[in-house]
Amino acid sequence: MSRLIKLFTVLLVLLFSISSVSAKTLTERLADGHKLRLGFGTAVPWAYAGDNGEALGFVNMIALTVLEEMGITEHETKVFEWSGLIPGINANRSDMVTGGMYILKSRCENMNFSDPIGVFGDAMLVPKGNPKNINNYQDVIDTGAKLVTGTGFNTVEAAKKYGVPDSQMLLVEGEVGILAAMKAGRADAAVQTFFGAKEHEAKTDGKFEVTDPKLMPKETLNVVGIGFRKTDVKFRDEFNKALAKVMANPAKMLERAGKYGYDKAQLPPPSMSTEWACSTK
Amino acid sequence: MSYFAFLAEHGSTLLLGTVTTLKVLICSMILYVIISMIFGLMRLSKNLVIQGIATVYIEFFRGTSLLVQLFWVYYVLPFFGLSLEAFVAGVMALGMNFGAYGAEIVRGGILAVPKGQWEAAHALNFSSAKRIKRIIIPQIFPIILPPAANLTVELLKATALVALVTVVDLTFEAKQINAITWLSAQCFGTALLIYYIIARFGLVPFLRWLEILAARKVGRGKA
Amino acid sequence: MEMGWRWDFAYEILPKMLLATFNTIIAAGVGYAIALVVGLFFLLGQRTPFKIINFINREIVEFIRSTPLLIQLFFVYFVLPQFGITLSAWVCGMMTIGLHFGTYLSEVYRGALEGVSKTQWEACRALNFSTIYTYRRIVLPQAFPIAIPGMGNYLLGIFKDTPLLSTIGVAELFHAATAVGGYNYRYLEPYTMVGIIFLILSVPAAMWVRKLERTVNVAQGKTKQ
Repeated sequence: MSRLIKLFTVLLVLLFSISSVSAKTLTERLADGHKLRLGFGTAVPWAYAGDNGEALGFVNMIALTVLEEMGITEHETKVFEWSGLIPGINANRSDMVTGGMYILKSRCENMNFSDPIGVFGDAMLVPKGNPKNINNYQDVIDTGAKLVTGTGFNTVEAAKKYGVPDSQMLLVEGEVGILAAMKAGRADAAVQTFFGAKEHEAKTDGKFEVTDPKLMPKETLNVVGIGFRKTDVKFRDEFNKALAKVMANPAKMLERAGKYGYDKAQLPPPSMSTEWACSTK
Repeated sequence: MSYFAFLAEHGSTLLLGTVTTLKVLICSMILYVIISMIFGLMRLSKNLVIQGIATVYIEFFRGTSLLVQLFWVYYVLPFFGLSLEAFVAGVMALGMNFGAYGAEIVRGGILAVPKGQWEAAHALNFSSAKRIKRIIIPQIFPIILPPAANLTVELLKATALVALVTVVDLTFEAKQINAITWLSAQCFGTALLIYYIIARFGLVPFLRWLEILAARKVGRGKA
Repeated sequence: MEMGWRWDFAYEILPKMLLATFNTIIAAGVGYAIALVVGLFFLLGQRTPFKIINFINREIVEFIRSTPLLIQLFFVYFVLPQFGITLSAWVCGMMTIGLHFGTYLSEVYRGALEGVSKTQWEACRALNFSTIYTYRRIVLPQAFPIAIPGMGNYLLGIFKDTPLLSTIGVAELFHAATAVGGYNYRYLEPYTMVGIIFLILSVPAAMWVRKLERTVNVAQGKTKQ
């Protein structure tokens, strides 16, 4: 009996010692030999995992290009449920959030962002022909339609801001949940990033179509940044330096990210900086 | 795409996930057996404090949902200073949860040992610890193995939940394949088949073999 | 991000969480009701003299009992629409829970029926009671108390499995916690509160089921009062 207790205690001690919270910063952890952990959700074409867990998607491509510029060639990937990305990085479950998160004020309070890696808009996904003529949040309110989006998406905040009542909102898990809901007719329209909507349009062979992002409120144009823990300021600054270098000569980055649909139009204008986004979005 | 083509392309990914599932299963099985033994015995202690601790533990882990416990260990525990790897967090949550259920089975098993055994051991001047270790515990195995077998199959099914906290197991891979290819019937159907095969043709025969072994050791087995 | 517990945040999200708890209770209740009925079907399939139905029934029950509820949920949610059957997430969830736990309940029913002493059946046949009368007046009243603990435990089991429904978008308590946590980027308060709410609801219920169990055992003469 006492032997069992001893064994149990040893196990507990082992567990504690193997993986207790490291008070070290990311830079120190990398110097110790730990691999950088990229955290993202499953959002094609932004960031998703391949069959062997490789990082795919244009946000990952941009991040990896910048990391190579910094001399970091090894990394690990971790796939989260979208709403777990920020709690995850803060719980030391990942080191960089490459989900493709828009820089929003509420997010800036919980996570530091790099300089923008691109500017993107939102759009709605509707059945082909747009029978209810839904092009933005006001249309959703006016027609009483059911709007689906992902938990933790920026669009949840946006929908609330523009007055879509909770009763008309359907919250599902990520891009996959959104398309499943649309395909099953559980919602009349989906609101998501323009790229995400375009991906869904392509995947369903045109059964759904993407509305014009210009018909969405102008404020929904957002910049995307890579997320870092608040304590990893040094690493974030170095990342920004390398990002600036890559952006100055974007050919390689555009080639890698271009495979997923990212092109020159997404390059962020200098007016939309992280500080601007953190204070206004 | 025919089912065979699907298997050819995605089969290996699913099998890799299965390996992780098995690892999670084995590790959490070991943990839950240890916890069951410890807390089952504690629950029967004459010492009210020890019994109280065990009761609280068992009520707590049986009274809350496994998924909630898992998410809590993974996302919230780090803020209290304990940040475990996803795999370890999953094994811990599964082991602690199922240990609570197992503790009740162990308790029932110990209570079911004939009173004569306790009295005989006492008469033969066995110390309390020796009595439990050498006489009582070996006899509980034939009694607890059938309900423990059920519980272990439940454990196998519960391992699927660790996919929701980034552990790359069979369920995780199936979800990934679904996200990218939308071949839902194939990927989830195959996952269901694999779990079924593990349970029906792996776990259950193994546990049945343990039952026979235990019965033989206690002298109740077939000659 | 503040690492400490924030009471203001906890109070802010409490109403939403309590509202979602209603959904959880309804989901558990409806799922359980379906499971009770499905269990009967599986029981009949098991007791029928037709060997082929026996076999099919046994295989289906084994398959459902041996595979994770989570994957069954994904299967029903994602696959049915691909065959044209579009059901809301709620209906998918209720159906799957009902099916899954129905298999367990059929075992409970079976155990209860077998727990009725064989002499009762023989006496009924000797007294020329019809099958329906036998069941209604003699067997079921004796089987029911035996089944109650098992049935009670599975009701609790369903209740504790409702968080799985959040993975297919059913707006029960855990889903609300994830949504609120995702919206505010804080999981500490929402998930802790979910845990506490579950404890508050299921611990008394579990004690009540155990009390029922003891009462049944006493009535059956299995334990001293």
